[in-house]
Amino acid sequence: MSTTDFFTAMEVSASGLSAQRTRMNVASSNLANAQTTQAAGGGPYKRRDVVLSSVDMPGMQGHDFSQAVKGVAVTQISQDANPPRLEYDPGHPQANAQGYVAYPNVNPVEEMVDMITASRAYEAGITAMSTAVNMAERALGIGR
Amino acid sequence: MSIAPMNITAPVIAPVEHTPKKQDGLGDAFSHALSEASNAEKTSTSQAERFAKGDPTMGIHEVMIASEKANIEIRYATTLKNKAIEAYRELMNTQV
Repeated sequence: MSTTDFFTAMEVSASGLSAQRTRMNVASSNLANAQTTQAAGGGPYKRRDVVLSSVDMPGMQGHDFSQAVKGVAVTQISQDANPPRLEYDPGHPQANAQGYVAYPNVNPVEEMVDMITASRAYEAGITAMSTAVNMAERALGIGR
Repeated sequence: MSIAPMNITAPVIAPVEHTPKKQDGLGDAFSHALSEASNAEKTSTSQAERFAKGDPTMGIHEVMIASEKANIEIRYATTLKNKAIEAYRELMNTQV
């Protein structure tokens, strides 16, 4: 149908919104676990990061520019390999023989920046989609 | 000296064949748009329902986008319907 092109733009924006939502979830998980000394699998919580990849849009197969229009998806949530932050606290139940406690390698400032970036990218995606919707509505208004 | 006769074997302008053939009219376009609108509306409703039931895979934006799509589809069908009626009225008002 004739509005498919605008719908493709909307679907691409939607994939971006989903990706940014996942990113926001990961950032808040990192912030919430900034003091977690015992995570699943032992050791302190490790900072997570999303890996974004471009993916084909379902409606674009066979289209001339199918390789140009791509959506985005979170394909992997990787763990930060940086070493944990060691803090001297001999009274802590998780303290090692030297009296150091391993805290997660999460930097709250970094997470705040990540959250702001995700929020701005989400806004940008919504703006792109509103523009597509506006264009479709303008097209419907032709000849009125 | 003789003038060669004009040999016209084929008419210069081919006659237009008025064979009524089945083609997509406004009515077909409208019914197609209407079914698309109906599908979009169903998708929107089911997504809103899943979201309300707490489906973790359903994002707010997905629900809103589906409803926006349904809105556009319905307006497209409405516009087609208006155009079809307008064209019909135009024909009916022809002075004879």
